[in-house]
Amino acid sequence: MNTDTQINKRRDWREWQTYQAITPKTILFLLVAFVLLSWSGHNTEMDRAAVETSKAVLSAVGIGDSNVLNGVSKFGSQAFPIQFSARTELSRLEGVDLQHLPWFSYVEEGVSREYYVDTDSWTETKAEYLVEPVGYLKKVLWMMWETIEMGFWGTVISMMISLPLGILAARNYSPHPIVYQMARGLLSFHRSMPELIVALFLVLIYGFGPIAGVLALATHTSGVLGKFFADEIENAPKGPQMALSSAGANPLKVLRYAVFPHVLPAWIAYIQYIFERNIRTATVLGIVGAGGIGMELKGRWDLFDYSHVATILLIIFITVVVLEFFSQKLRNKTL
Amino acid sequence: MLIFDNVSRIYPDGTQAVKDVSVQLKQGEFCVLLGPSGAGKSTLMNMVNGLVEPTSGKIVLDGELLTKKNLQMIQRSISMIHQQLYLVPRLSVLHNVLTGILPLAGFWQCMVKSFPVKDQQRACELLSEVGLIEKHLMRRASELSGGQQQRVAIARAFMASPKVVLADEPVASLDPAMSRSVLNSLKEAAQTNGATVLCTLHQMDYALEFADRIIALRDGEVFFDGPPSDMDADLQRRLYEIEHENLETQHTPTVKPVKKPTQPHLVDIKEAVA
Ligand SMILES: Nc1ncnc2c1ncn2[C@@H]1O[C@H](COP(=O)(O)OP(=O)(O)OP(=O)(O)O)[C@@H](O)[C@H]1O
Ligand SMILES: [Mg+2]
Repeated sequence: MNTDTQINKRRDWREWQTYQAITPKTILFLLVAFVLLSWSGHNTEMDRAAVETSKAVLSAVGIGDSNVLNGVSKFGSQAFPIQFSARTELSRLEGVDLQHLPWFSYVEEGVSREYYVDTDSWTETKAEYLVEPVGYLKKVLWMMWETIEMGFWGTVISMMISLPLGILAARNYSPHPIVYQMARGLLSFHRSMPELIVALFLVLIYGFGPIAGVLALATHTSGVLGKFFADEIENAPKGPQMALSSAGANPLKVLRYAVFPHVLPAWIAYIQYIFERNIRTATVLGIVGAGGIGMELKGRWDLFDYSHVATILLIIFITVVVLEFFSQKLRNKTL
Repeated sequence: MLIFDNVSRIYPDGTQAVKDVSVQLKQGEFCVLLGPSGAGKSTLMNMVNGLVEPTSGKIVLDGELLTKKNLQMIQRSISMIHQQLYLVPRLSVLHNVLTGILPLAGFWQCMVKSFPVKDQQRACELLSEVGLIEKHLMRRASELSGGQQQRVAIARAFMASPKVVLADEPVASLDPAMSRSVLNSLKEAAQTNGATVLCTLHQMDYALEFADRIIALRDGEVFFDGPPSDMDADLQRRLYEIEHENLETQHTPTVKPVKKPTQPHLVDIKEAVA
């Protein structure tokens, strides 16, 4: 009250309180922040990360030795050359017509090693192999496509869940406050469950394969999309809605004509983002057996087939870049 | 026939926006509502289509008392042209006009945006009546000029064949030529559709030119009610006169109404409701 009246009294401008950038409060704040950050950084081994990384950089220019760099070069030496071809023992294949082999493939002589548990020994037999020069690449590409499809269906199902839930979770269109709270709660619940963990459970229920992956994506992203839908509906301009409803139109019609046209561009952009994100996430879901390219990645990783792993990583990388490129183009078009 | 019977409105913060207004509008009348800013014009209008509830008094439309229960039914025979228009910017002109019949149209028809040809032609007829042309039909409302948007709002208001059209400052932001032509459109549309119009204006000369009847509010009370010819220069000056000492508390009227509302024969309210 006292200061209020003082300010209102129009003091001479020379006495006005000016802006001060650094106050004791800021210094105290910075000090506390520094202590907290140091503690947390040590917890997460950020100090060791800095040391190891600098050692690796030094070792790369020829000073000293580094575990990190050794690890990198070990992976690198095994990853190259990247594996594109597939090599299969002929006797394990059925119905191969040697007169009409698939394009560019040929038969090769080699040794087949087999392990016998009883005698604890290896036997080597001569065998014929069918070599397809891009056989493995084709397999990986096909699995990448499957992964993209998983992302697509995850997004479609997520939309089907989040559209009705989003409307129920919009304060101004929810039929009842209780319904509103329930819808908001359900959306938060969906949002709070990470895909990998949901996928882990769903693999138990549905077994290995893309069903678990798709449903895991749908569950998590429906929470994200639904909240976004609801917020957009709540923030749509009120005037046109009021004009239609005060003429006697029911809420669903008002939603259709005064809200949807307004929120549609933002929704499309967001759905597109979710689709992109779902594809990226789908690539790792296979690690817990939920389908897609990640299953192959995990399998090869466990077998130390780093040259196969390199092929998979390369394809994922190219896909993500291409995806980014196309969605950027699409965005420019819709906005 | 639209009847206000002793209608008052006090906002929750204590502002008395409308005070004991008793007016009867005849079917097909073009009635202009005048009054200085804050006189309660918008409040009076918003009470007719239920956006604001009267604190006391009755509003009766064609023998139907306006209550919460029949509000939605009555809203269908009342259209409003809002001061800010409230068109849907991203919707085409045609569909903006068609939103006027949303309350009457079938649910699934609305959801898939498929309106009967008959309704679409009605929309076209109204649009051409207010002076728009075919090439505007599929444009987004946001791509039209202010005056053109005003005409779309008028067409939308007449789409549901209303008995009463409320227009809140329909020419607030238009140049004089455009204002005159929009008001002409409004008046002609009202005449061909036999609708009663209650229209607020801030320009005295348009009121004198277009009105069949002028109702002037001041501090929420009826200050003048009669034909434009009775609105003399002295009354005009007093209507907009500012009480300098009382600017802060402008809701305690110091200027007494010079002329009591001239209401030749008020129909008994009970008779009208029956
Ligand atoms: N929602 C509200 N809450 C409180 N007071 C309000 C509200 N709406 C309007 N008022 C007050 O009621 C009085 C009448 O307002 P109203 O909008 O009806 O005036 P008006 O005649 O339409 O003015 P204008 O010509 O500027 O549009 C004003 O004093 C205003 O401040
Ligand atoms: Mg107003």
